[in-house]
Order: sequence, then C-alpha cells, then structure tokens
Amino acid sequence: MSPQNRPAAPRMAAFIPKTVGPWLSEADHVYDAETIFQYIDGAGEVYRSYNMKLVVSRRFHKDGRPDIVVDLFDMGASEDAFGAFTHDLDGENAGIGQGSNYKAGLLSFWKDRYFGSVFAEEETKDAKDAVLELGSRIAAAIPKEGPKPKLLSYLPAEGLDAGRVAYFHNYTVLNYHFFVADVDILLLEQTAAALLAPYATAGGKSTLLLVRYPDAAKAGRAFESFSKNYMPDSKRPGIVRTEDKRWTASAKAGDIVIVVFNADSDQFAMSQLASVQELIAAADKK
Amino acid sequence: MRRKMLTRRDFLKVASVAPLAGALLPALKGAAAGPEGKVRVVLVRDPNAVDAAGTPSAAVIQRMLDDAVMALVGEKDPVKAWQTMIRPDDIVGIKTNGWGKLPTPTQVEQAIKRRVMDAGVAEGMLSIDDRGVLRNPIFQNATALINARPARVHQWAGMGSCLKNYIQFVPRPSDYHGDSCADLATIWSLPHVKGKTRLNILVMLTPLFYAPGTIQYDKQYVWSYKGLIVSRDPVAADATGLRVLLAKGREHFGQEQPPRMSPHHIFLADTRHHLGVSGEDRIELIKLGWTEGILI
Repeated sequence: MSPQNRPAAPRMAAFIPKTVGPWLSEADHVYDAETIFQYIDGAGEVYRSYNMKLVVSRRFHKDGRPDIVVDLFDMGASEDAFGAFTHDLDGENAGIGQGSNYKAGLLSFWKDRYFGSVFAEEETKDAKDAVLELGSRIAAAIPKEGPKPKLLSYLPAEGLDAGRVAYFHNYTVLNYHFFVADVDILLLEQTAAALLAPYATAGGKSTLLLVRYPDAAKAGRAFESFSKNYMPDSKRPGIVRTEDKRWTASAKAGDIVIVVFNADSDQFAMSQLASVQELIAAADKK
Repeated sequence: MRRKMLTRRDFLKVASVAPLAGALLPALKGAAAGPEGKVRVVLVRDPNAVDAAGTPSAAVIQRMLDDAVMALVGEKDPVKAWQTMIRPDDIVGIKTNGWGKLPTPTQVEQAIKRRVMDAGVAEGMLSIDDRGVLRNPIFQNATALINARPARVHQWAGMGSCLKNYIQFVPRPSDYHGDSCADLATIWSLPHVKGKTRLNILVMLTPLFYAPGTIQYDKQYVWSYKGLIVSRDPVAADATGLRVLLAKGREHFGQEQPPRMSPHHIFLADTRHHLGVSGEDRIELIKLGWTEGILI
C-alpha cells in the first residue's frame, strides 16, 4: 500500500473544521473495521460491508444548541464511498461533494474514497446551516474526486431512476434494498460488486440487478445457482413469469450476471437484458 | 436436515405487493402450533410511566415490573414472585443495554436490582453490566441472569431484541452478524449463558419503530408507548415487541413499514434453534394497565 493510499486518521482529521459558527469541536474518536461496533453497534456492519478502513468522529458542541456529529469514513476506494452513500438515498440533493443528501438534520455525502455523515441531534435553522457548512468545507478539503463503479456505465438510460441506484457487495444489503432470497443464491459472498437500479416502465416499476464477479467461472456458477433456485419452473431458459404475473429474466455476460425483476412483459425483460449486453460489449471494445 | 430456502417468489405467492420479508416471515415461519402449550408474556403499561420528556418514573416503573412479574408467575406478592425465580444464594447478572441513544433506563435497572435483593441476594452478589460482562466476575460466575433492554428497530438485526442483547456474551460479536444476525439464538446455548436466564424484560417505554438508512436513531420515530414486556421466553417477548413496532409503523405510515433489515433472528430462534416460541397462537399474552394506543 502506498503512503497515499494508507488510511491516515490525522490526514482525515485535517479535512474536518475545528469550529463551525459558535460550535466548538471536542476530541476526535477514531475507529477501524474491528472497533467500529464500539461506536455504532451492529450498524457498523453496513460500513464493513463496504470495506471501511477508518472513521474519524468529531462532535461539535455549543451550550443551548443541538450537538453536531461528523463521521468521516475512509472506505479505501471511491467506488465503496459511493456505495456507502447509496445505502440511504432519501433526502434532497445538497450539492456537496460528488453526491449528497440532506434530510432532517442529517447530511450524507461522498467524495473520492471518503463517505461523510454530518448529523445535528436536533434540526434547527442554525443547526441545518452549520451541518451544510461543515459538509461543504469537508468536501472542499478533500483534494480530488474519485471514479464511480464502472458497472454504472452498463445501465440502459431509458427509464432509469438514476438517483436511486444502489451499489453493494453482499446479499444482506441486497435484501435491504430488494429482497431476493434468505440465502445467498447469487453467490455475492462480499467478493462481487453489484448494482441495483430501479426503472420506470409503461406498466409500473422494474428492477435491474447487475453483479460483477471476480471471474467468468464464478459468474457462471452464480447464474446457475440463481436459475436453479429462483426460476426452477421456467418454461424458457432464463425467464419466468412470477406469481404476481410479472416477469423475471436473467443472463450472463462474461464475468457479469444480469437479472431483470418485475418486468411488465417478457418482451421488456428480454430487451432490457439485450440492452445491458450491448453496453457491456461496447465497453469491452473500447 | 436441509432447511427450506425462502425467495421473493415465496412471498409473492402470499401477496403480490411489497413489503416482503419483515412483515411476512412471522406468518410463514413462526405460526406452527407446538405441543407444549402456550408461553406466557405479560405486557404492562401505565400512562405515567414516563413524563413528557421521556424520563421514566421510578415508582411507576417499580409498580409495573412488580405487576408484570406477579402476573407472569401467578403470585400476589412481588417479593414472593421474584423468589420463584431467584434464590438467595444465586449470583445474579443483570444484563442491561448501554446504547447511548436508547439505553435500558436506570429506573428499570434499579427496580430489578431491588427485587433481586428482596429475594435474598446480597448486593455484592449481583451486578448490572452490558459491554463488560465477559470481564465481570459476577457475570463470569453467575448462576442467574436477568435480561433487560429497550426495543428498537436495528440497522442490521432488524430489531434490537432480548435475543440480541446477549451478543456481548461473545468475544467477537461480529461473528454473529451474518445474515442479519440470523443465528443469535446460538449464543444462548453457550456454557456461560445456557439455562441461566430467569427473566426477560423488553423495555417498551419509548421504543424506536423506524430507522432508515444508516441513521440509527431519529426522535421523530420514537414514541411513548409506556410499556414493559416481560417473559421467561426471550423469543416470545421479542415476537410480541416486534408486533408492537410493526403496528406502530403501520399506524404512522398508513401502510406496512417493516424494518428494512428482516428481524428473522427472532423467528429462527424458534424454528431453527428451538429456543422459544414466536407464533402469536403459541403465546398467552396478558395485558395489564393502560390500554389506550396499545396497538396489539
């Protein structure tokens, strides 16, 4: 690991202002992937599922005003900072970093390999202003941007709700966003990278899942596992009409497995699969 | 025996609309009737249990706990009721929960401690602890455990439950986080825990019924339910508490709003690990006190 990539609490702490308005900061607390549970209980698993390296937590206090807490996570890679950000996409875009949301006293944002959370323990006008100022200053202090997951480029644009795409590595988080099965039938195993993307269609909503595996052989095993467990009654290979009269279809393209859930027609499901395969093929030629 | 897998399609057979896992798992997995009869759970509520700021009243909490334990064991005197569970020579660990946003209230801890001492246990032979239980000599030598924690929706386990409260009895809690903490019940079979729990108290004074995203606690999703759920069976206590949380979510949002992470550890504690019962039809629920807004 190069010094530039090494997690470094002092470097991260330097991104966080020491004061904001009348609020003064208290001593920092630093946790890694093993000690995170001392700080945020089992919810630490969410950050661990995105391969977190370190979090620097700083509390701001001013008598008579709600405390504000900054948690700045080093996720190790910008893709995982993006992923942690996508775990909760509710809120309004605050225009901070490479992506941000604000709701009810909580600002979430990401930039480069860092995911930030700034939370006012009670939302007041002053506290909201301070939360947004802190987020802006932290994001500005992070020197560069980082790439998003390459998988995003394989999502067909038509009908995509781009602001609701989730990125993750394991089936527990998949089930958090969209329940598929109570065992890991897609063999995500924390080694895969997956996108879950909602689409608006003429007949309602459809969900597209893309999973990139470490290699094509693993993708093949995952495709077989999904087909066997999720669509054992399919009358045509790779597509089945589900109990709600909608369609689920799946395909494999190299090291990627593609699944379309809840399509309102078999034609839409198959065309969606074809669109993704074309985008993957086009990217491979570049 | 290979357990049956559940997929989204299993739920679609039941209902063609979301939500799925959290709301329907109880119906699918915990409803079978058992041969041993029903497990008793007591829900006690009092409108004066907490004040407007959410601060519990020690006197009211003591009375609620006494009433619940007496109803649970069928005694008319609180000390006699506790004496059916605790012997004077017991070494008693009161497993509490210190999570900063919603800890086990001191008033609940002290109410338990008082009755344990009334049952004849010397003060030096009991201890109240959470994260330090593995290093605490009282817990290391405990012959009896009392389990008390607040109910809340949980980011990973689905519900902060009586079952989950024992995760501090293992050196690496994260070892039990797989599949949303599905197998927490196995902790209850460890030698330093097994068979020692005399009472489970799921504190429902100000429960948290919703926790979106990575936010663990948001005051707008906390309400003053002003209750305690008490049972010898942690699974039955948790299943009952979950019903209240789900009902509150339904009331608040106007539709089913189960925890985003499925609390299936509660039902698997029944169906996979046979620690207790989760099905409503296997639980004898005794309701005491205030009924307004009881939800179940």
